[in-house]
Amino acid sequence: MGMCWCKKKNEEQGCYYAPRLSTQQDVVLPPPSPVPSPLIYNNTGPTASEPKYPDTVLVDKLILDTLGLIETLVDNEQEPPSAMLQLHNIADNEEGWIQVVNSMIKVIPLADPLGPSVITLLLDDCPLPSKDSIIKVVDMFALSHETALKERNNPTRQRNTCVALGSIAEKLAGPRNMEILNDGVIDYLLTNLEPETNPNVILFSLIALEKFAQSSQNKVSILNKLNKTNISPIRMLEKWKTEIHFVKRQAGFCAQWILDNIFMTDDRKYSYLSANMENINAMLNTSDVSEYLKISPDGLEARCDAYSFESVRCTAQADSGIWYYEVLIITPGVMQIGWATKNSNFLNHEGYGIGDDRFSLSYDGCRRLIWYNAKSDPQKLPRWQPGDTLGCLLDLNNHQIVFSVNGVSLPPSVHVFSMAKSGFFAAASFMSFQQCRFNFGAEPFKYPPSFNFNTFNECGALTADEKVVLPRHIYLRQLRQQNIREDSCTLCYDQKATVRLLPCRHAGFCASCADLLAECPMCRSPFSQLLIEDYPHT
Amino acid sequence: MAALPRRIIKETQRLMQEPVPGISAVPDESNARYFHVIVTGPEDSPFEGGLFKLELFLPEDYPMSAPKVRFITKIYHPNIDRLGRICLDILKEKWSPALQIRTVLLSIQALLSAPNPDDPLANDVAELWKENESEAIRNAKEWTRRYAMDN
Repeated sequence: MGMCWCKKKNEEQGCYYAPRLSTQQDVVLPPPSPVPSPLIYNNTGPTASEPKYPDTVLVDKLILDTLGLIETLVDNEQEPPSAMLQLHNIADNEEGWIQVVNSMIKVIPLADPLGPSVITLLLDDCPLPSKDSIIKVVDMFALSHETALKERNNPTRQRNTCVALGSIAEKLAGPRNMEILNDGVIDYLLTNLEPETNPNVILFSLIALEKFAQSSQNKVSILNKLNKTNISPIRMLEKWKTEIHFVKRQAGFCAQWILDNIFMTDDRKYSYLSANMENINAMLNTSDVSEYLKISPDGLEARCDAYSFESVRCTAQADSGIWYYEVLIITPGVMQIGWATKNSNFLNHEGYGIGDDRFSLSYDGCRRLIWYNAKSDPQKLPRWQPGDTLGCLLDLNNHQIVFSVNGVSLPPSVHVFSMAKSGFFAAASFMSFQQCRFNFGAEPFKYPPSFNFNTFNECGALTADEKVVLPRHIYLRQLRQQNIREDSCTLCYDQKATVRLLPCRHAGFCASCADLLAECPMCRSPFSQLLIEDYPHT
Repeated sequence: MAALPRRIIKETQRLMQEPVPGISAVPDESNARYFHVIVTGPEDSPFEGGLFKLELFLPEDYPMSAPKVRFITKIYHPNIDRLGRICLDILKEKWSPALQIRTVLLSIQALLSAPNPDDPLANDVAELWKENESEAIRNAKEWTRRYAMDN
């Protein structure tokens, strides 16, 4: 299960009543500090010496507490930890928001696998900052080519700054986004792409550039600067996509994705045109994936850089016998990888993925939990690391699923088979900044089972068209050019409108949509009969 | 990406061809279910002169369930909370699949013209709106100036 409490609550209650500071019993803010505390990392302005409320030490501590607790939060129904609620309340005040951002940048350690996710999560959940406070924060960073070079000896701060910039950019697509991305920020991010920089910083600078480029004017500003460089630094980084240094490899993946999807140039061919798909008979299904997951041009590697919980299924289906596939873990954070039928829904924005309903089962080697129906079952293996191999075995003869990490098996799981006994697909969900690579059998397995089993690559089949992982902008352009007939159903536009509702006589619906209706969509009156007309006149 | 329903394609095409006055809704380049929305504050309302950014997302079962809409720009309004969430019946129990992105956005614009403090989402705002309307309107104008106007 992913993590997004406030959204979930919003779903369940018709209206969400924001907690009121004045009546909140369990949140006690400390009194204003009598001594001026140097609250903010600041190398430019005089604001740092003003007394602020509440103090830095407390905010630092609350952030580290949140980071420590986040792993134990496995239930969307659960209240967020009190540290997180306190941070929300602090961030409700503009100075407080600025302080939360500054503290996150200072204290979140480089090595924590959930660090970047926590920055994104907190920024996403905190109240909306005003334009002024965002600009104030960015000005305080005083980002430039020079700061990029000067801060190379502090990759933690640099990495966190880039993560925060990316989340803020995502929150503020549009005009606001442009005000933050001044020349200094672009120079800072582009300088960070030089290979001498810590790979973690390179990676999150790429992601921040990608998020800023969501607004078209920013995209132009970045492209202009990029074009002034002799060799595009992103083109250089693209070569890292097969690196065994796993952070570099992530940067390579993101660089390639950006070049195919955002900063396209005439002199570079789209990667899908040169992907070698000869021996690939099964891959991740580009028509069966939530919107923000990034899939590699060969269809076997996937990555999420959104704050939603993104999911995907593979193209081939298992109905009987024993099946096996392996996953190369590239990032150490939260992914739920396993098996799902088509009945499993991808509710990426609500934080539900594979293992969070009754039709899927998964293993999350970061939190070390087997997931079924959004309930988790703790496992005893050590936390997974980049380079580990997850084995996923589906035994439809004995109705069990067995996961293994580097050949060491977990106890079999059986729950999902009460709901389904066939129609299974390899499937996975990704929290932000997570990535892994699937092997459906096109490559030799590292830890194959000792008995006979099937692989998707051996049993699957794909047409040449199905093997194409088209960049989204090309796919969407093709879609939008489609012609839609005017006599279509006004609800789905898929089928012809042939149904009239009685007694209200409203028409314009197809039979499939009419089936889903509880009342007339036009007048809300109940209907008792459907009149099927071949040539309806609406 | 799951195949995009024709209904969404159709609505997108129409929004591009016949835009609604005072409202801009542009689909995200990489996610056809996500729209970047800007609503202009209605004339003769405390929000006049402001440009309010919203995000609109079409869930998987759209149009059988309502779009999810949220203000990104801060706004002082009794039916909109500090996280930008909107209390509007057609986004909840009064949703009908015959409603569209454009009708939803028009309703939101109408909500700006006619705040309803008796069905509040932001309690403190609603209380003030009922007890001292002129002060509430002053706040709303001030927030509009601070957060929804460039410069």
